[in-house]
Amino acid sequence: QEEAQAIDQELFTDYKFSVDQLMELAGLSCATAIAKTYPPSSFTTSQPSVLVVCGPGNNGGDGLVCARHLKMFGYQPTVYYPKRPNKPLFEGLTTQCQKMDIPFLPEFPAEAAVIDELYGLVVDAIFGFSFKGAVREPFGSILSTLQRITVPVASIDIPSGWDVEQGRADGLQPDMLISLTAPKKAALRFTGRYHFLGGRFVPPALQEKFALNLPPYPATDCVLQLT
Amino acid sequence: VSQAFPLPSLPRKQPTVLVVCGPAQNGAIGLVCARHLRIFDYEPTIFYPKRSPDPVYRDFTTQCEKMDIPFLSYLPTEVQLINDAYNAVVDAVLGAEAEAAEGREPCAAILATLKHVRIPIVSLDVPSAGWDVEAGSSGGISPDVLVSLSAPKQCARRFLGRQHFVAGRFLPYDVQKKFELNPPEYPGTECVVALRAPR
Repeated sequence: QEEAQAIDQELFTDYKFSVDQLMELAGLSCATAIAKTYPPSSFTTSQPSVLVVCGPGNNGGDGLVCARHLKMFGYQPTVYYPKRPNKPLFEGLTTQCQKMDIPFLPEFPAEAAVIDELYGLVVDAIFGFSFKGAVREPFGSILSTLQRITVPVASIDIPSGWDVEQGRADGLQPDMLISLTAPKKAALRFTGRYHFLGGRFVPPALQEKFALNLPPYPATDCVLQLT
Repeated sequence: VSQAFPLPSLPRKQPTVLVVCGPAQNGAIGLVCARHLRIFDYEPTIFYPKRSPDPVYRDFTTQCEKMDIPFLSYLPTEVQLINDAYNAVVDAVLGAEAEAAEGREPCAAILATLKHVRIPIVSLDVPSAGWDVEAGSSGGISPDVLVSLSAPKQCARRFLGRQHFVAGRFLPYDVQKKFELNPPEYPGTECVVALRAPR
């Protein structure tokens, strides 16, 4: 977890990337990985509907970007974003989604069965690699509902609620994980079918410095399928 | 750039590309392009003589420098030197927003040199100067590849080069409809689409 934070720090402080830039590339990777794995034609719902659950921090921001690109790729995303930070970055991302006719739910579907009925996929953009400590409401109840749905879950960076290094055996078990920048330790405990790497912006010098040993991305793709 | 000039197809041993960046937004797009080219394993070199004071664009410059992308201190006027050193040139000098008076020098001198290169030129959004955004004109750069950003500009009708791409897959549908843009469909998750050359 510390290493991931150190890499982020260096990207922002030394390389002068803005959070906006990296979040955009991260969110785009997530949408791309999803589109490659669960194409709109594969949905059994009448529309390729996707529920994107956004948490209170940067992982939520990644989710907003992902939702916007999913819309561009022909999906019908719906966002649930209960705790919105008071910062221009997140306000901007929210507006972009709203202006693209992406609905924001006023409340979370009460039951797992409702989610299964309405959506073909759920994107878990609740907590990321900075997560520490206990899960606060409303996310605790949201995560228990998500553990009961049968439609696939795609988690951004870390399955939400997991310890970033140790994982969580009784926690959310998503079908897809999109690791951003580099896989985190917890990814070793990922049991789903699809593991992608996204966030293709790490300069070669930084990769070497942290000995990331990332496998090469294919051509100009912004995602790499690891499993 | 990578679709028009895939790595295995390049004539030179090193996958070198010269990216010439003007003082405004078109130049900044060139900086971002150069950074991604580097990530894609090309070897970009940047010529950015008149740097924008905009902090966002200054950060783009830092990102490129920290990625070991060299910045030329001057553009050789001897065109053969450019032809020999690079596989292609990315023209990110002036965009659709440029006015005739803006940034006369060093842009005029740069464009005069680029007009004579024999390696392919890829222009970002509009071929720089010599081209009126609306009318198009001869006397400026004639690129081999044009990458129209968001949607083709009027002057693109006069484009005579090999390949025309549309890029910048971010226009919301209501903006597309409002301005009657009728952009082509992007395939899958691609962020670039090649336009069929008009017969």
